[in-house]
This record gives sequence, C-alpha cells and structure tokens, in this order.
Amino acid sequence: MPFLNAGRILHVDLTTGETRTQATKEYADRYLGGRAINAALVYDLVGPDTDALGPENILSLGVGPLGGTSYPGCSRLDVMAKSPVTNLLGDSNMGGYWAAELKYAGYDHLVLHGRSEKPVYVWIHNDKVELRDAARLLGKNTVDTQQAILDELDNPNVKVISIGPAGENLVTWADLHQGTCHAAARTGMGAVLGSKNVKALAVRGTQGIKVADPDALMTACLEAHTAIRGSEMFGEYSTVGTSWCEASYGRSGIECGGDGHEGPIPDWDPHRDQAFDQFWTEYGIKRTGCMGCPVHCMETYFVPGVGSASMSCELYTQTTGELRQDLLRGIKLVKLCQEMGIDETSVSNLLQWLLVLKDMGVIDDSHLDGVPLAWGDVDSQVELTKKVIFREGVGDVFADGLLAAAQHLDARTAPGPRGGASTYVYAMQVNNNPMYGINPRVKSMALAYAVGRRSDCISDLNMQDFDIMSVSAEYPGWTDEQRHEAAEFDAETARYVSGEPRAADFDVIDGKAMIVHDMGRTVGMADMAGTCKQHLKWLYLDSTPAHMSAAISAGVGKTVTADDLMWASLQLRTLERALECRWGRRREHDTIPEKEFDKLVSQGVFKGRSYTSREDLEAMKDEYYWLRGWDKATGIPYGETLRDFGLDHVADDLARLGILPACADEQQRRAGIAKASTLGYVWPELVGRDNPGGNKAPWAADEPEADAQPVAVGGADAETS
Amino acid sequence: MYRVVTVDIEKCTGCRSCEIACSLHNFGECNPARARIHVVKTQKEAVTTTIPILCRQCADPLCMKMCPAEALSRNEETGAVVVAKEKCLGCHTCVYVCPFGAPAVDPVTGVCEKCTLCDGDPHCVKVCSKEALTFGDEVEESMHRKRAGLEKYLEHLATVTET
Repeated sequence: MPFLNAGRILHVDLTTGETRTQATKEYADRYLGGRAINAALVYDLVGPDTDALGPENILSLGVGPLGGTSYPGCSRLDVMAKSPVTNLLGDSNMGGYWAAELKYAGYDHLVLHGRSEKPVYVWIHNDKVELRDAARLLGKNTVDTQQAILDELDNPNVKVISIGPAGENLVTWADLHQGTCHAAARTGMGAVLGSKNVKALAVRGTQGIKVADPDALMTACLEAHTAIRGSEMFGEYSTVGTSWCEASYGRSGIECGGDGHEGPIPDWDPHRDQAFDQFWTEYGIKRTGCMGCPVHCMETYFVPGVGSASMSCELYTQTTGELRQDLLRGIKLVKLCQEMGIDETSVSNLLQWLLVLKDMGVIDDSHLDGVPLAWGDVDSQVELTKKVIFREGVGDVFADGLLAAAQHLDARTAPGPRGGASTYVYAMQVNNNPMYGINPRVKSMALAYAVGRRSDCISDLNMQDFDIMSVSAEYPGWTDEQRHEAAEFDAETARYVSGEPRAADFDVIDGKAMIVHDMGRTVGMADMAGTCKQHLKWLYLDSTPAHMSAAISAGVGKTVTADDLMWASLQLRTLERALECRWGRRREHDTIPEKEFDKLVSQGVFKGRSYTSREDLEAMKDEYYWLRGWDKATGIPYGETLRDFGLDHVADDLARLGILPACADEQQRRAGIAKASTLGYVWPELVGRDNPGGNKAPWAADEPEADAQPVAVGGADAETS
Repeated sequence: MYRVVTVDIEKCTGCRSCEIACSLHNFGECNPARARIHVVKTQKEAVTTTIPILCRQCADPLCMKMCPAEALSRNEETGAVVVAKEKCLGCHTCVYVCPFGAPAVDPVTGVCEKCTLCDGDPHCVKVCSKEALTFGDEVEESMHRKRAGLEKYLEHLATVTET
C-alpha cells in the first residue's frame, strides 16, 4: 500500500480515447512528487522538437504527497507542458479544490496525450474515466462551464477545471480555471488544453489517502497550523489577503505600471491603503481560499453593474497602471480575464506595451482597429482585450504573443519613432513571456527574472526578496526606531541566508545569487509536496521545511528530513534546467529586456539608486550557475551535477545530443553545490549526501511489491467513450 | 454542562480543513468523503454560503429514538450521541430521520458513522483557523451569540444614525 501518494498516474490518450494507469512509484522513488514528477514526465514524454500546441505535447497535472492531507495549504496543483508562450518550460501552479479531489479519486497525476477529434471534457469518478461530449459547452465562460458540468453530472461535489473562450481560441496566454479565482495562469496552459480539444476536467473522488502513522501526521499538521497561525503576518494575511503586497510594492516603488514600463504611475499615495479598506468594506462579501488552508488570502466582492468576483492580489498588483488606483474600474478587467480564461498579467503587460508604443508615437488607434486605448480607461482596455480573446481583427495577431505582435507592428509602423529598433525591444518580456509588474532594475529581481524557470521571476523567487523587504522600513506611520529595527532585521536575515554581509544592500550584487537560489529551492519544496509556498517562512508565513518533512515522515512511515527535501529541490531545479536546455535554452536566454540595463529606478525608495547593469547581471549569473552546478559558458548542468542528483539518464541524453558540458574543475563545482546546500536558514550540511542510495530517494517505499497491485482503468471497471 | 461544537456560518470560508482532520483522526486516512463533518456549499447568485454540517448532539435525538437496534446512546461524559457499532445494522434509519443529514453509513465499515466529539477533543475545531467552529460550554456560547447580536444591532444603529 503506497502511503501519502494515491499510487497511480492516469494517462489519457485523447486521440484514441484510451486510458491507462501507471504506478506513481515508478517516479516517486526518485522524485518527491508534484512539480518534480511533472518535470520527469515531461522530460520522458515530450521531445525536443515538439510543437507546444501539437498533439505530441502533453499536459501533466500533478499533486504532491501532502496534497489532500491535513497539512495546511494542501491544495496545490502543478500543471506542466511545453509552453506555447516561450517554447520552453510551461509550468503553472494553482490552488482551489481540484488537486485534492484528484487524489481522492485515486490519482497523483493526470497526463493528457494527443488530441481529441471532437470537443470533449474528461470525467473522472474514482476508477471510472470517461471522455464526454463538450460541444454544447463551447463558448461558455469558465464559471458557466463549471456549473453546466455540475448540472449535467447532477453532482455538486464534482470539481471542475475549465478553459474559457481564450483557451478554445488558442490564445497563447490562455489559462486553466477552477472556481472563480483559482487559476493556473502563466505560460499558456489553457492554450495547451484547448489544443487538445478538451474543454474541461471534472473529477470526483471518494477514496482515502493512506498514511503510515495517522496520529503522528495529525500532530505534525497541527504543529504546522500553529506555526502559520502564530506568524506575525497571519493577521494581516488572513484579513487583508494578498492585497497587502500591493501596498508594500507601492511603497517601495518597485511596481512599474504592471510590467516595468514607466507609465504615468504616481508615487505611492498612502491614501491607497484606505482605498483598499474602503473597497473591501463597501463591496466585500466574504473571505475565501483554497482546500485545507488556514489563511484564506482571497476575497469575494460584489460590485453593482460588474457582478461578483473573487480574487487574491490580481486586482492590486496586475491590472494596468492607474487602474490599480481605481479598483472599481480595475475589477472589470480582472473579471473579464477570469471569466474568459486568460492570464491577467500577460494581458496587462500587452496593454501597457501598446500604451507605451502609443505614447512614443509608434502606433496610433489605427493600428488597434480604431480602439481608443488610453491609460486608466478600462473600457478601451476591455475592448482590446476582448479582441485578443476572440481573435478579432488585430487581436488575432496579438493572441499569438508579444513577438508575433511586434513583427506585425514593425511591418506597419515607421521606424523613426521607435528609434529604428523593433517594437519588441520595448516589450517587457523574458523569452517572450510577459513580465510581472515588478521592476527588474532591482538587482535581485533582474537575476530572478533572468534565471527563473519558465522565464519569470515568481516561479523562483515569489517576488519577495530581501533588498525589497528592506523597504518595509518605509511603512507609513512608523517611528524612526521602528524603521531602523525593520531594516536591521532584514539585513540580518539576508546575511544569514547568503553569508554575505552586504546582502540586503540593493546597491551591490553581493549575496543576491544565494538569496535567489534560496527562494527558488524553498518554493520548489512546496511545489513538490503539493502545498502552498506562501505558508513558508520568508515567503510571508512561519511554517518551515521542517514542518513539511515531519508531516511527510509521519505519512510515509520513515524519516525524511528537511535536508532530504532540499536535496529533492536541488534535483528538481537541475532536472528542469536540463529539460529547458534540451529545448534550446542557454546562458544567453537568461536575461532581462536590453532596454532595462543601466536604467535607474524612477520612483519610490529605490529612486535614483538602484539599477542593474549588464555586468551586474552576468556576474550574478556566474555565481548562480556556480551554486547550481551548471556550466558558466552555456548554462547547461554538468553531467556530474546531474549524476549527483540521480539524473544519470538525463546526463546520458544530453551527452547523446552533444550538449553535455565538460566540467574542468570538479573541486570548484563541488564547492558551489556545497555552498548551495549548506547556507540558508535551516540547513545543516549535506556533505556526503550526493546520490543517496543510488537512484532511490530517501522517501522511496521500502517494499517494491507493496504497490504493484494492478488497478484497472480502461479495463473491466472503466468506461471510455 | 456539556461542551458543544458550535458553527458560525459567517466565518466559514469553506476550506474543508475540518473534513480532512476528521477523517484522519477517526479513520486514519485523509478522505473527506468519510468525514463526519461536511462543508456544504450553496451558491445563490453572487453569494456563496458555506455551512459545516455535523451532528448537533440533539437534546432529544430522533436518531436515538428511531434506531431499531437501539445502537445509539448518549455518552454521559462527553454528551455526544454515540453508536455501538456491534449493534448497528447499517440500516440508514438514523440518516433518514436526522433533520440535518448528519450521520452516514460508512461504505467501508458498513455501520453508522457520526460525530463523537472525538471523545471530548474535536479535531475539526483545532484546524479551524477562522474559528467558525468552536467548542465550548452551551450556556456561555449562547450568551456569546447574544452579545454578537447586540454588536450587530449597534453597528446597524450607527449606520442609520449617520444617514
């Protein structure tokens, strides 16, 4: 009997309609779960030349070992495929109620292959897997689709992930939605599902997750609960929600018109704090959140004339420029994106790029089919967004991404106003992935954007960073003493994590690589375990990897330490990097938009002080690669590093492709990984821990025959239509 | 005086932590489908309401009265209505007569499974960070509600006076 894992991976071939299961153990003995098993599945099943929107791409949805258990924040689902946005790693993580339900149905992962001839939705009811006709669901928005499926199946307990019209129309930034506000938004996962002719994934499960020691698991989970609820930030987090981010970004001046452009965003106005409170008091209905979460970081609003919408930080951090200051208007765009199933961050980025081009005199309304796009004017922004979603007119081009849009505009505009350069130069993107509204001129953010997996910063860093945290010293109403105390705390923490005395200083690059690395590995652990990364220490709340490892130990019935989880996280990042390198990612792709180099931050506490030069970024990359055990010249992991983490088959594969770099200085390489494993906030040394037990990880099940009992799906007790 | 689990539906966010904790403690597995507490969600237009449904430990329980096997009785120590599993027929009578639908016949054990207040230490309450579930003295809890009602009245009064 497998513990913690449901024990099976469900493969659905949409082309043939066949389903089969595979023992999760085949992967779980080597990888912790969730994002790591997803990466391994994508590595094994998607070739280097695969078209992201072709039938040969897969979409893998995975839940980790703590998903669906009593561990707080057990709701996370990791979705992975080759991305239509970047043609590199596509990966997005969502909360909600679907992931736990998939495990209760008996599956850790759902892998979709091929392409259905007709529009279908997948209906998983424990052992029964069915492809059902979705013709009548086409065109429905994400909310109505879910309701229509619940009605059709006559079961309100079914959980549904769906795409909206954006996904059906293969808009490159389409996303997956569950409920109203839970979305796997980044890297175009909705377009991949749409390309498979799948409208929705419905699941209902009534089976239990088996655990080795229930009492010990309960105790471990209660300890994590206590830690989270005792966090200093818990009060604010569970009453204001993630919207507090906006306040801190606003104060710091690192928000930049949603995408790094210097739109007409005024300096932080303390009255905006009150604006949030007022908005919540006037229009808030209730707090909401995800499965098994003690925090409830989201809120539901009802705005007359707009309707109801639930959200976490979207309204505050992602909507274009001034819209953020007028929540009543901004919510219209948020709601549109949620219902149509499109990533609001990407939409915002596109709109602002176009607005900047308009300000520069490069384009005018005629390039936008006459839509009078203007800063702060939600109606014109909604109109243009709809054109993208429904691929109408120029929206058809924009829906293929920033690069396609730039090529289109380059051919139709005079080169003078854009300085002879392509309009693409003014797009805030990394490998064609639209950036968040966080300024890359701050050094650690630049590095996080550049080296982040899936070409954005949130994946590896989750935005919060120590040189940004030092901005907390600017909290309005604080006394000088309080400011000093907060700045000292941040500096001390940064020193502790990185081992560099000046790590919290945003004028230097010291320790930045280590901080970005530390964030990345912490996020990785949560993504693999299937829990929410925001609960972890340094990512706002006070649970630690030790809480996770205690819960996993109790669940699987053998000792798994926080060190083991870190080892798994280093393995995960190495595997993901190898996967991206196999698809062509190299050192030169790890960058930020050229125009951002050497530019000073234009407002907030960083104003006139912080900027990133090309030299800064390259030096930070050198250090980051060194910590990760990757080749500095190419950015590809060394064979020795891959083997350290039990990824021998990957090393062999890269060698076969002729891209495996040779490590000239083994001592240096080991020193880097040793540093990467030893510093940080909870880690004792990992010396002598490389490749423990050959290819078997510490949490691997002891008895190989234990979960080998075949469970038939697609067989006698399964229906496939 | 017995202690009771009370529900404040205004506080519940529908996270279902209570369901998972209940199943883990009582069945040794994480399985909301077997839990003795369920968060029922209803959506009326814009407003989603989530209500945790569990045994109210009625003063005069219908389930106890109607059970043909006389398997239900009150635990004098905790006040919980409990099932003698060896007597239970799995006949669903308690499920049918309960006005809340709180008890259920468990598909695995085949007998009635209902809230036992975890022998006086309910785990659902422990994981409810919003304190939508509380475990307390019946009389004090009732006074607490009255006080909350007064606060609301005063709040309303303030709004009316303002306008």
